[in-house]
Amino acid sequence: MAVSTIYSTQALNSTHFLTSSPSSSTSKQVFFYRRHQSQTNRRFNTIITCAAQQTVVIGLAADSGCGKSTFMRRLTSVFGGAAEPPKGGNPDSNTLISDMTTVICLDDYHSLDRTGRKEKGVTALDPRANDFDLMYEQVKALKSGIAVEKPIYNHVTGLLDAPELIQPPKILVIEGLHPMFDERVRELLDFSIYLDISNEVKFAWKIQRDMAERGHSLESIKASIEARKPDFDAFIDPQKQYADAVIEVLPTQLIPDDNEGKVLRVRLIMKEGVKYFSPVYLFDEGSTISWIPCGRKLTCSYPGIKFNYEPDTYFNHEVSVLEMDGQFDRLDELIYVESHLSNLSSKFYGEVTQQMLKHADFPGSNNGTGLFQTIVGLKIRDLYEQLIANKATAPAEAAKA
Amino acid sequence: MMSATASHGRAVMLPSPSGALQHQQPSIGSDMFRLRRKEPRGLRLIVAAKYKGTKMREEKLSEMIVEKVKEATEVCEADVRSEECKVAWDEVEEVSQARADLRIKLKLLNQDPLESFCQENPETDECRIYED
Repeated sequence: MAVSTIYSTQALNSTHFLTSSPSSSTSKQVFFYRRHQSQTNRRFNTIITCAAQQTVVIGLAADSGCGKSTFMRRLTSVFGGAAEPPKGGNPDSNTLISDMTTVICLDDYHSLDRTGRKEKGVTALDPRANDFDLMYEQVKALKSGIAVEKPIYNHVTGLLDAPELIQPPKILVIEGLHPMFDERVRELLDFSIYLDISNEVKFAWKIQRDMAERGHSLESIKASIEARKPDFDAFIDPQKQYADAVIEVLPTQLIPDDNEGKVLRVRLIMKEGVKYFSPVYLFDEGSTISWIPCGRKLTCSYPGIKFNYEPDTYFNHEVSVLEMDGQFDRLDELIYVESHLSNLSSKFYGEVTQQMLKHADFPGSNNGTGLFQTIVGLKIRDLYEQLIANKATAPAEAAKA
Repeated sequence: MMSATASHGRAVMLPSPSGALQHQQPSIGSDMFRLRRKEPRGLRLIVAAKYKGTKMREEKLSEMIVEKVKEATEVCEADVRSEECKVAWDEVEEVSQARADLRIKLKLLNQDPLESFCQENPETDECRIYED
Protein backbone atom coordinates (compact mmCIF):
# COMPACT_ATOMS: atom_id res chain seq x y z
CA MET A 1 0.00 0.00 0.00
CA ALA A 2 1.60 3.21 -1.13
CA VAL A 3 0.16 6.65 -1.07
CA SER A 4 1.43 8.08 -4.25
CA THR A 5 -0.45 11.35 -4.57
CA ILE A 6 -1.79 13.79 -2.06
CA TYR A 7 -4.86 15.70 -3.09
CA SER A 8 -6.39 18.66 -1.37
CA THR A 9 -10.05 18.43 -0.45
CA GLN A 10 -10.88 20.98 -3.13
CA ALA A 11 -9.97 18.41 -5.73
CA LEU A 12 -12.32 15.90 -4.17
CA ASN A 13 -15.21 18.29 -4.11
CA SER A 14 -15.08 18.60 -7.86
CA THR A 15 -16.04 15.80 -10.17
CA HIS A 16 -12.39 15.07 -10.79
CA PHE A 17 -11.57 11.77 -9.27
CA LEU A 18 -8.71 9.35 -9.03
CA THR A 19 -8.62 7.29 -12.15
CA SER A 20 -6.78 4.12 -12.80
CA SER A 21 -6.34 1.84 -15.74
CA PRO A 22 -8.11 -1.48 -15.33
CA SER A 23 -4.80 -3.27 -14.93
CA SER A 24 -3.71 -1.53 -11.74
CA SER A 25 -4.37 -2.59 -8.20
CA THR A 26 -7.77 -3.67 -7.11
CA SER A 27 -8.89 -1.08 -4.64
CA LYS A 28 -7.92 2.47 -4.05
CA GLN A 29 -7.74 3.93 -0.64
CA VAL A 30 -8.03 7.57 0.14
CA PHE A 31 -6.82 8.93 3.40
CA PHE A 32 -8.15 12.20 4.63
CA TYR A 33 -5.81 14.16 6.82
CA ARG A 34 -6.71 17.45 8.40
CA ARG A 35 -3.92 19.76 9.38
CA HIS A 36 -3.70 20.20 13.08
CA GLN A 37 -5.47 23.29 14.34
CA SER A 38 -4.45 24.15 17.83
CA GLN A 39 -7.13 26.79 18.33
CA THR A 40 -9.98 24.37 18.64
CA ASN A 41 -10.44 21.60 21.16
CA ARG A 42 -12.29 19.32 18.89
CA ARG A 43 -11.12 15.85 18.17
CA PHE A 44 -10.66 15.26 14.51
CA ASN A 45 -11.64 12.29 12.50
CA THR A 46 -8.28 12.13 10.89
CA ILE A 47 -8.48 9.08 8.73
CA ILE A 48 -11.35 8.05 6.55
CA THR A 49 -10.83 5.22 4.14
CA CYS A 50 -13.02 4.81 1.16
CA ALA A 51 -12.89 3.38 -2.31
CA ALA A 52 -12.11 6.27 -4.60
CA GLN A 53 -13.77 4.44 -7.43
CA GLN A 54 -17.52 4.15 -7.43
CA THR A 55 -18.79 1.63 -9.92
CA VAL A 56 -22.06 2.41 -11.62
CA VAL A 57 -23.95 -0.69 -12.68
CA ILE A 58 -26.20 -0.80 -15.72
CA GLY A 59 -28.36 -3.77 -16.68
CA LEU A 60 -29.39 -4.56 -20.24
CA ALA A 61 -31.88 -7.32 -20.95
CA ALA A 62 -32.12 -8.71 -24.45
CA ASP A 63 -32.87 -12.02 -26.10
CA SER A 64 -30.21 -14.34 -27.43
CA GLY A 65 -27.89 -13.61 -24.56
CA CYS A 66 -25.26 -11.17 -25.62
CA GLY A 67 -26.16 -10.67 -29.22
CA LYS A 68 -26.72 -6.96 -28.82
CA SER A 69 -23.07 -6.20 -29.44
CA THR A 70 -23.91 -3.18 -31.57
CA PHE A 71 -25.98 -1.66 -28.77
CA MET A 72 -23.07 -2.19 -26.39
CA ARG A 73 -20.67 -0.57 -28.76
CA ARG A 74 -22.89 2.45 -29.20
CA LEU A 75 -23.16 2.74 -25.45
CA THR A 76 -19.47 2.43 -24.72
CA SER A 77 -18.62 4.76 -27.58
CA VAL A 78 -20.51 7.61 -25.86
CA PHE A 79 -17.86 7.41 -23.16
CA GLY A 80 -15.10 7.32 -25.71
CA GLY A 81 -12.80 4.50 -26.65
CA ALA A 82 -13.53 1.25 -28.37
CA ALA A 83 -14.71 -1.72 -26.36
CA GLU A 84 -12.55 -4.75 -26.94
CA PRO A 85 -12.20 -8.24 -25.54
CA PRO A 86 -9.69 -8.56 -22.69
CA LYS A 87 -6.20 -8.69 -24.13
CA GLY A 88 -4.25 -11.91 -23.98
CA GLY A 89 -6.98 -13.89 -22.28
CA ASN A 90 -9.39 -16.56 -23.45
CA PRO A 91 -10.21 -15.71 -27.07
CA ASP A 92 -13.74 -16.96 -26.52
CA SER A 93 -14.34 -14.51 -23.71
CA ASN A 94 -17.62 -12.64 -23.93
CA THR A 95 -16.36 -9.67 -21.95
CA LEU A 96 -15.74 -6.25 -23.49
CA ILE A 97 -13.49 -3.66 -21.91
CA SER A 98 -12.97 0.00 -22.73
CA ASP A 99 -11.46 2.85 -20.72
CA MET A 100 -14.55 3.57 -18.72
CA THR A 101 -16.74 0.55 -19.14
CA THR A 102 -16.65 -3.20 -18.77
CA VAL A 103 -19.44 -5.23 -20.32
CA ILE A 104 -20.13 -8.62 -18.79
CA CYS A 105 -22.21 -11.22 -20.56
CA LEU A 106 -24.53 -12.93 -18.10
CA ASP A 107 -24.23 -16.23 -19.97
CA ASP A 108 -21.01 -16.52 -17.99
CA TYR A 109 -23.17 -17.27 -14.97
CA HIS A 110 -24.70 -20.38 -16.49
CA SER A 111 -24.64 -23.06 -13.83
CA LEU A 112 -25.23 -25.70 -16.47
CA ASP A 113 -23.22 -26.00 -19.63
CA ARG A 114 -24.78 -27.13 -22.90
CA THR A 115 -24.57 -30.81 -22.01
CA GLY A 116 -25.89 -30.17 -18.54
CA ARG A 117 -28.88 -28.26 -19.88
CA LYS A 118 -29.64 -31.03 -22.32
CA GLU A 119 -29.55 -33.60 -19.53
CA LYS A 120 -31.82 -31.59 -17.30
CA GLY A 121 -34.10 -30.56 -20.14
CA VAL A 122 -33.76 -26.80 -19.51
CA THR A 123 -33.11 -24.03 -21.96
CA ALA A 124 -30.65 -21.19 -21.31
CA LEU A 125 -33.71 -18.99 -20.71
CA ASP A 126 -34.66 -21.04 -17.66
CA PRO A 127 -33.46 -19.61 -14.34
CA ARG A 128 -32.48 -23.13 -13.30
CA ALA A 129 -29.61 -22.93 -15.78
CA ASN A 130 -28.13 -19.86 -14.09
CA ASP A 131 -26.27 -19.24 -10.84
CA PHE A 132 -27.90 -16.11 -9.46
CA ASP A 133 -26.06 -16.35 -6.17
CA LEU A 134 -22.74 -16.05 -7.93
CA MET A 135 -24.07 -13.33 -10.19
CA TYR A 136 -25.19 -11.33 -7.17
CA GLU A 137 -21.95 -11.83 -5.25
CA GLN A 138 -19.75 -10.81 -8.13
CA VAL A 139 -21.77 -7.81 -9.26
CA LYS A 140 -21.87 -6.67 -5.64
CA ALA A 141 -18.11 -7.11 -5.32
CA LEU A 142 -17.39 -5.21 -8.50
CA LYS A 143 -19.74 -2.46 -7.42
CA SER A 144 -17.77 -2.17 -4.18
CA GLY A 145 -14.48 -1.89 -6.04
CA ILE A 146 -13.30 -5.48 -5.62
CA ALA A 147 -11.97 -7.49 -8.55
CA VAL A 148 -13.52 -10.90 -9.22
CA GLU A 149 -12.64 -14.14 -10.97
CA LYS A 150 -15.59 -14.50 -13.26
CA PRO A 151 -16.35 -17.78 -15.08
CA ILE A 152 -16.42 -17.83 -18.86
CA TYR A 153 -19.15 -19.59 -20.78
CA ASN A 154 -17.74 -20.58 -24.14
CA HIS A 155 -20.44 -20.32 -26.80
CA VAL A 156 -18.41 -22.28 -29.32
CA THR A 157 -17.75 -25.35 -27.20
CA GLY A 158 -20.75 -24.95 -24.92
CA LEU A 159 -18.50 -25.46 -21.89
CA LEU A 160 -17.63 -23.41 -18.87
CA ASP A 161 -13.99 -22.33 -19.22
CA ALA A 162 -11.51 -21.21 -16.58
CA PRO A 163 -12.41 -17.87 -15.01
CA GLU A 164 -10.96 -14.51 -16.03
CA LEU A 165 -10.03 -11.69 -13.70
CA ILE A 166 -12.31 -8.68 -13.97
CA GLN A 167 -11.20 -5.41 -12.43
CA PRO A 168 -13.90 -3.11 -11.12
CA PRO A 169 -14.57 -0.55 -13.83
CA LYS A 170 -16.13 2.88 -13.54
CA ILE A 171 -19.18 1.63 -15.38
CA LEU A 172 -20.19 -1.99 -15.29
CA VAL A 173 -22.74 -3.16 -17.82
CA ILE A 174 -24.31 -6.55 -17.31
CA GLU A 175 -26.09 -7.73 -20.39
CA GLY A 176 -27.96 -10.89 -21.10
CA LEU A 177 -31.17 -12.73 -20.53
CA HIS A 178 -31.61 -12.21 -16.80
CA PRO A 179 -30.12 -8.97 -15.49
CA MET A 180 -33.34 -8.05 -13.70
CA PHE A 181 -34.57 -11.48 -12.81
CA ASP A 182 -33.05 -11.78 -9.36
CA GLU A 183 -34.25 -9.19 -6.89
CA ARG A 184 -30.89 -8.78 -5.20
CA VAL A 185 -29.16 -8.10 -8.50
CA ARG A 186 -31.94 -5.70 -9.42
CA GLU A 187 -31.21 -3.65 -6.32
CA LEU A 188 -27.61 -3.26 -7.42
CA LEU A 189 -28.54 -1.75 -10.76
CA ASP A 190 -28.31 2.01 -11.06
CA PHE A 191 -30.13 1.90 -14.36
CA SER A 192 -31.77 -0.84 -16.38
CA ILE A 193 -32.84 -1.21 -19.99
CA TYR A 194 -35.01 -3.82 -21.65
CA LEU A 195 -34.91 -4.36 -25.39
CA ASP A 196 -38.37 -5.52 -26.38
CA ILE A 197 -38.52 -6.83 -29.93
CA SER A 198 -41.94 -7.75 -31.28
CA ASN A 199 -42.42 -11.19 -32.78
CA GLU A 200 -42.70 -9.99 -36.36
CA VAL A 201 -39.53 -7.93 -36.13
CA LYS A 202 -37.70 -10.73 -34.32
CA PHE A 203 -38.63 -13.09 -37.14
CA ALA A 204 -37.47 -10.62 -39.80
CA TRP A 205 -34.18 -9.99 -37.98
CA LYS A 206 -33.48 -13.67 -37.49
CA ILE A 207 -34.13 -14.28 -41.15
CA GLN A 208 -31.58 -11.60 -41.98
CA ARG A 209 -29.22 -13.11 -39.49
CA ASP A 210 -29.56 -16.78 -40.38
CA MET A 211 -30.65 -17.20 -43.97
CA ALA A 212 -27.05 -17.07 -45.16
CA GLU A 213 -26.27 -20.18 -43.13
CA ARG A 214 -26.50 -23.53 -44.83
CA GLY A 215 -28.31 -25.17 -41.99
CA HIS A 216 -31.20 -22.75 -41.86
CA SER A 217 -34.44 -22.28 -43.70
CA LEU A 218 -37.51 -20.17 -43.03
CA GLU A 219 -39.05 -23.15 -41.29
CA SER A 220 -36.13 -23.77 -38.97
CA ILE A 221 -35.96 -20.11 -37.99
CA LYS A 222 -39.68 -20.05 -37.29
CA ALA A 223 -39.53 -23.31 -35.34
CA SER A 224 -36.69 -22.05 -33.18
CA ILE A 225 -38.56 -18.89 -32.26
CA GLU A 226 -41.75 -20.81 -31.47
CA ALA A 227 -40.01 -23.44 -29.38
CA ARG A 228 -38.29 -20.83 -27.22
CA LYS A 229 -41.34 -18.65 -26.84
CA PRO A 230 -42.90 -20.32 -23.76
CA ASP A 231 -39.69 -20.00 -21.72
CA PHE A 232 -39.10 -16.53 -23.06
CA ASP A 233 -42.58 -15.37 -22.08
CA ALA A 234 -42.33 -16.98 -18.67
CA PHE A 235 -38.85 -15.91 -17.62
CA ILE A 236 -37.49 -13.09 -19.75
CA ASP A 237 -40.43 -10.94 -20.78
CA PRO A 238 -41.65 -10.18 -17.22
CA GLN A 239 -38.38 -8.34 -16.54
CA LYS A 240 -39.57 -5.40 -18.61
CA GLN A 241 -41.75 -4.15 -15.81
CA TYR A 242 -38.63 -3.44 -13.77
CA ALA A 243 -36.74 -1.58 -16.48
CA ASP A 244 -36.12 2.16 -16.24
CA ALA A 245 -36.16 2.35 -20.02
CA VAL A 246 -37.71 -0.04 -22.51
CA ILE A 247 -36.88 0.15 -26.18
CA GLU A 248 -39.77 -1.45 -27.98
CA VAL A 249 -39.28 -2.37 -31.63
CA LEU A 250 -42.37 -2.93 -33.76
CA PRO A 251 -43.22 -3.12 -37.45
CA THR A 252 -43.87 0.19 -39.12
CA GLN A 253 -47.33 1.66 -39.43
CA LEU A 254 -46.27 3.84 -42.34
CA ILE A 255 -46.32 1.08 -44.93
CA PRO A 256 -49.54 -0.92 -45.14
CA ASP A 257 -49.03 -4.70 -44.93
CA ASP A 258 -45.28 -4.36 -44.59
CA ASN A 259 -43.80 -7.69 -43.55
CA GLU A 260 -40.20 -7.14 -44.38
CA GLY A 261 -39.28 -5.53 -41.10
CA LYS A 262 -36.96 -3.05 -42.72
CA VAL A 263 -38.78 0.09 -41.69
CA LEU A 264 -39.37 0.10 -37.96
CA ARG A 265 -41.51 1.78 -35.39
CA VAL A 266 -39.46 2.20 -32.23
CA ARG A 267 -40.78 3.35 -28.87
CA LEU A 268 -38.61 4.60 -26.04
CA ILE A 269 -40.60 4.03 -22.85
CA MET A 270 -39.03 6.00 -20.01
CA LYS A 271 -40.00 5.58 -16.40
CA GLU A 272 -40.80 8.76 -14.53
CA GLY A 273 -39.30 9.48 -11.15
CA VAL A 274 -36.07 7.58 -11.62
CA LYS A 275 -33.20 9.22 -9.77
CA TYR A 276 -30.73 11.03 -12.06
CA PHE A 277 -32.79 10.16 -15.14
CA SER A 278 -34.81 12.83 -16.90
CA PRO A 279 -36.78 11.52 -19.86
CA VAL A 280 -36.32 12.96 -23.33
CA TYR A 281 -39.29 14.92 -24.61
CA LEU A 282 -40.67 16.63 -27.66
CA PHE A 283 -41.69 20.30 -27.48
CA ASP A 284 -43.68 20.27 -24.25
CA GLU A 285 -42.95 17.88 -21.41
CA GLY A 286 -45.88 15.81 -20.26
CA SER A 287 -48.11 16.74 -23.16
CA THR A 288 -49.12 14.64 -26.16
CA ILE A 289 -47.44 15.52 -29.43
CA SER A 290 -47.66 14.06 -32.89
CA TRP A 291 -44.98 15.34 -35.22
CA ILE A 292 -44.11 14.73 -38.84
CA PRO A 293 -40.91 16.67 -39.52
CA CYS A 294 -41.14 16.25 -43.29
CA GLY A 295 -42.73 19.26 -44.94
CA ARG A 296 -41.62 22.59 -46.25
CA LYS A 297 -38.34 22.79 -44.40
CA LEU A 298 -37.40 19.15 -44.72
CA THR A 299 -38.01 16.83 -47.63
CA CYS A 300 -38.01 13.15 -46.80
CA SER A 301 -38.17 10.20 -49.09
CA TYR A 302 -40.66 7.39 -48.73
CA PRO A 303 -41.92 6.32 -46.21
CA GLY A 304 -40.90 9.39 -44.25
CA ILE A 305 -40.63 9.94 -40.51
CA LYS A 306 -43.28 10.30 -37.83
CA PHE A 307 -42.78 11.08 -34.16
CA ASN A 308 -45.09 10.72 -31.22
CA TYR A 309 -44.62 11.74 -27.63
CA GLU A 310 -47.03 11.19 -24.77
CA PRO A 311 -47.34 10.35 -21.09
CA ASP A 312 -48.67 6.89 -20.35
CA THR A 313 -48.73 4.13 -17.76
CA TYR A 314 -46.72 0.96 -18.14
CA PHE A 315 -47.18 -1.86 -15.58
CA ASN A 316 -48.63 0.61 -13.09
CA HIS A 317 -45.76 3.06 -13.49
CA GLU A 318 -45.96 6.50 -14.97
CA VAL A 319 -43.89 6.71 -18.10
CA SER A 320 -43.17 9.04 -20.98
CA VAL A 321 -43.10 7.48 -24.40
CA LEU A 322 -41.16 8.88 -27.34
CA GLU A 323 -41.84 7.06 -30.56
CA MET A 324 -40.25 7.20 -33.99
CA ASP A 325 -41.63 5.46 -37.04
CA GLY A 326 -39.72 5.53 -40.33
CA GLN A 327 -36.19 6.01 -41.52
CA PHE A 328 -33.53 8.67 -41.75
CA ASP A 329 -32.23 8.94 -45.22
CA ARG A 330 -30.02 11.97 -44.95
CA LEU A 331 -27.85 13.64 -42.39
CA ASP A 332 -29.93 16.78 -42.35
CA GLU A 333 -33.02 14.82 -41.34
CA LEU A 334 -31.19 13.49 -38.33
CA ILE A 335 -29.83 16.85 -37.22
CA TYR A 336 -33.22 18.45 -37.78
CA VAL A 337 -34.89 15.90 -35.54
CA GLU A 338 -32.18 16.20 -32.92
CA SER A 339 -32.61 19.96 -32.76
CA HIS A 340 -36.28 19.54 -31.86
CA LEU A 341 -35.81 17.00 -29.07
CA SER A 342 -35.35 18.22 -25.51
CA ASN A 343 -33.57 16.82 -22.48
CA LEU A 344 -31.19 14.77 -24.55
CA SER A 345 -28.33 15.19 -22.05
CA SER A 346 -26.05 15.91 -24.97
CA LYS A 347 -22.99 18.05 -24.32
CA PHE A 348 -23.14 19.98 -27.55
CA TYR A 349 -25.50 20.58 -30.42
CA GLY A 350 -25.39 17.69 -32.84
CA GLU A 351 -23.82 15.20 -30.47
CA VAL A 352 -26.49 12.59 -31.12
CA THR A 353 -26.01 12.95 -34.86
CA GLN A 354 -22.27 12.73 -34.46
CA GLN A 355 -22.54 9.52 -32.46
CA MET A 356 -24.89 8.02 -35.01
CA LEU A 357 -22.49 8.89 -37.82
CA LYS A 358 -19.60 7.33 -35.96
CA HIS A 359 -21.38 4.01 -36.23
CA ALA A 360 -23.15 4.51 -39.52
CA ASP A 361 -22.30 0.91 -40.39
CA PHE A 362 -24.20 -0.54 -37.52
CA PRO A 363 -27.69 -1.92 -38.02
CA GLY A 364 -30.33 0.57 -36.95
CA SER A 365 -28.28 3.63 -37.80
CA ASN A 366 -31.05 5.02 -39.93
CA ASN A 367 -34.00 4.45 -37.63
CA GLY A 368 -35.27 4.69 -34.09
CA THR A 369 -33.24 1.75 -32.78
CA GLY A 370 -29.92 3.50 -33.37
CA LEU A 371 -31.34 6.86 -32.34
CA PHE A 372 -32.79 5.67 -29.05
CA GLN A 373 -29.82 3.47 -28.21
CA THR A 374 -27.60 6.52 -28.68
CA ILE A 375 -29.89 8.69 -26.57
CA VAL A 376 -29.95 6.05 -23.83
CA GLY A 377 -26.15 6.11 -23.96
CA LEU A 378 -26.16 9.86 -23.32
CA LYS A 379 -28.66 9.42 -20.51
CA ILE A 380 -26.43 6.84 -18.87
CA ARG A 381 -23.47 9.18 -19.13
CA ASP A 382 -25.53 11.90 -17.51
CA LEU A 383 -26.67 9.55 -14.75
CA TYR A 384 -23.10 8.44 -14.18
CA GLU A 385 -21.80 11.98 -13.86
CA GLN A 386 -24.54 12.94 -11.45
CA LEU A 387 -23.98 9.83 -9.34
CA ILE A 388 -20.26 10.43 -9.15
CA ALA A 389 -20.69 14.09 -8.29
CA ASN A 390 -23.13 13.10 -5.58
CA LYS A 391 -20.87 10.45 -4.08
CA ALA A 392 -17.83 12.74 -4.16
CA THR A 393 -19.50 15.34 -1.97
CA ALA A 394 -20.70 12.80 0.59
CA PRO A 395 -17.32 11.69 1.97
CA ALA A 396 -16.07 15.29 2.07
CA GLU A 397 -19.05 16.15 4.24
CA ALA A 398 -18.35 13.22 6.54
CA ALA A 399 -14.85 14.58 7.10
CA LYS A 400 -16.24 17.81 8.49
CA ALA A 401 -17.52 16.11 11.62
CA MET B 1 -47.82 20.65 -36.69
CA MET B 2 -46.27 20.22 -40.10
CA SER B 3 -48.16 18.34 -42.72
CA ALA B 4 -46.54 15.47 -44.51
CA THR B 5 -45.31 15.92 -48.01
CA ALA B 6 -43.23 12.82 -48.16
CA SER B 7 -42.01 12.36 -51.67
CA HIS B 8 -41.95 8.84 -52.88
CA GLY B 9 -38.36 8.33 -53.82
CA ARG B 10 -36.60 5.24 -54.88
CA ALA B 11 -38.07 1.85 -54.11
CA VAL B 12 -36.80 0.13 -51.00
CA MET B 13 -34.42 -2.58 -51.99
CA LEU B 14 -34.24 -5.71 -49.94
CA PRO B 15 -31.32 -8.10 -49.72
CA SER B 16 -32.48 -11.39 -51.15
CA PRO B 17 -32.64 -14.00 -48.39
CA SER B 18 -30.14 -16.34 -49.93
CA GLY B 19 -26.40 -16.74 -49.99
CA ALA B 20 -26.24 -13.21 -51.38
CA LEU B 21 -26.66 -11.93 -47.83
CA GLN B 22 -23.22 -13.05 -46.90
CA HIS B 23 -21.63 -10.83 -49.46
CA GLN B 24 -23.56 -7.67 -48.77
CA GLN B 25 -23.09 -4.87 -46.37
CA PRO B 26 -25.47 -4.79 -43.45
CA SER B 27 -28.36 -2.90 -44.96
CA ILE B 28 -28.90 0.53 -43.52
CA GLY B 29 -30.07 2.28 -46.63
CA SER B 30 -28.60 5.71 -46.12
CA ASP B 31 -26.37 7.29 -48.72
CA MET B 32 -25.39 10.14 -46.45
CA PHE B 33 -24.02 7.81 -43.85
CA ARG B 34 -21.88 6.00 -46.39
CA LEU B 35 -19.91 9.17 -47.07
CA ARG B 36 -18.54 9.01 -43.57
CA ARG B 37 -16.87 5.66 -43.98
CA LYS B 38 -13.12 5.79 -44.20
CA GLU B 39 -12.83 3.40 -47.10
CA PRO B 40 -14.70 3.89 -50.35
CA ARG B 41 -17.72 1.63 -50.38
CA GLY B 42 -16.63 -0.36 -53.41
CA LEU B 43 -13.40 -1.43 -51.81
CA ARG B 44 -14.83 -2.45 -48.50
CA LEU B 45 -14.74 -6.20 -48.75
CA ILE B 46 -15.77 -8.58 -46.07
CA VAL B 47 -12.79 -8.87 -43.78
CA ALA B 48 -11.83 -12.51 -43.95
CA ALA B 49 -10.71 -14.31 -40.85
CA LYS B 50 -7.10 -13.51 -40.39
CA TYR B 51 -6.11 -16.46 -38.25
CA LYS B 52 -6.60 -20.12 -38.84
CA GLY B 53 -8.21 -20.48 -35.44
CA THR B 54 -10.92 -17.99 -36.29
CA LYS B 55 -11.59 -19.63 -39.63
CA MET B 56 -11.90 -22.93 -37.79
CA ARG B 57 -14.41 -21.44 -35.39
CA GLU B 58 -16.45 -20.02 -38.24
CA GLU B 59 -16.61 -23.37 -39.95
CA LYS B 60 -17.28 -25.26 -36.77
CA LEU B 61 -20.18 -23.01 -35.86
CA SER B 62 -21.67 -23.27 -39.34
CA GLU B 63 -21.44 -27.04 -39.21
CA MET B 64 -22.97 -27.10 -35.78
CA ILE B 65 -25.91 -25.14 -37.08
CA VAL B 66 -26.54 -27.75 -39.76
CA GLU B 67 -26.20 -30.57 -37.24
CA LYS B 68 -28.34 -29.04 -34.57
CA VAL B 69 -31.13 -27.97 -36.92
CA LYS B 70 -31.28 -31.55 -38.13
CA GLU B 71 -31.29 -32.85 -34.58
CA ALA B 72 -33.99 -30.45 -33.48
CA THR B 73 -36.20 -31.31 -36.45
CA GLU B 74 -35.92 -34.99 -35.60
CA VAL B 75 -36.45 -34.61 -31.87
CA CYS B 76 -39.50 -32.42 -32.36
CA GLU B 77 -41.18 -34.83 -34.71
CA ALA B 78 -42.12 -36.90 -31.71
CA ASP B 79 -43.56 -34.08 -29.58
CA VAL B 80 -43.24 -30.45 -30.49
CA ARG B 81 -43.89 -29.37 -26.90
CA SER B 82 -41.49 -31.68 -25.15
CA GLU B 83 -38.54 -30.37 -23.15
CA GLU B 84 -36.15 -32.07 -25.53
CA CYS B 85 -37.63 -30.17 -28.43
CA LYS B 86 -37.34 -26.81 -26.63
CA VAL B 87 -33.75 -27.49 -25.63
CA ALA B 88 -32.81 -28.62 -29.13
CA TRP B 89 -34.10 -25.43 -30.76
CA ASP B 90 -32.50 -23.37 -27.98
CA GLU B 91 -29.17 -24.92 -28.91
CA VAL B 92 -29.79 -23.96 -32.52
CA GLU B 93 -30.46 -20.40 -31.42
CA GLU B 94 -27.35 -20.28 -29.25
CA VAL B 95 -25.09 -21.50 -32.00
CA SER B 96 -26.74 -19.29 -34.64
CA GLN B 97 -26.20 -16.25 -32.47
CA ALA B 98 -22.58 -17.22 -31.81
CA ARG B 99 -22.03 -17.55 -35.54
CA ALA B 100 -23.64 -14.17 -36.16
CA ASP B 101 -21.57 -12.54 -33.41
CA LEU B 102 -18.40 -13.79 -35.03
CA ARG B 103 -19.56 -12.47 -38.38
CA ILE B 104 -20.31 -9.07 -36.86
CA LYS B 105 -16.90 -8.91 -35.22
CA LEU B 106 -15.13 -9.64 -38.46
CA LYS B 107 -17.36 -7.67 -40.82
CA LEU B 108 -18.45 -4.61 -38.85
CA LEU B 109 -15.72 -4.22 -36.33
CA ASN B 110 -12.69 -5.57 -38.18
CA GLN B 111 -11.67 -7.36 -35.03
CA ASP B 112 -10.45 -10.88 -35.30
CA PRO B 113 -11.20 -12.36 -31.85
CA LEU B 114 -7.84 -14.10 -31.85
CA GLU B 115 -5.95 -10.85 -32.49
CA SER B 116 -4.60 -10.23 -29.02
CA PHE B 117 -4.15 -13.93 -28.20
CA CYS B 118 -2.11 -14.42 -31.35
CA GLN B 119 0.09 -11.44 -30.70
CA GLU B 120 1.19 -13.13 -27.49
CA ASN B 121 1.32 -16.62 -28.97
CA PRO B 122 2.14 -16.32 -32.67
CA GLU B 123 3.65 -19.78 -32.92
CA THR B 124 0.51 -21.76 -32.07
CA ASP B 125 -1.32 -23.59 -34.81
CA GLU B 126 -4.43 -21.49 -34.30
CA CYS B 127 -2.46 -18.37 -35.06
CA ARG B 128 -1.23 -19.29 -38.46
CA ILE B 129 -2.31 -16.64 -40.89
CA TYR B 130 -5.13 -18.03 -42.92
CA GLU B 131 -4.53 -18.05 -46.64
CA ASP B 132 -7.40 -18.63 -49.01
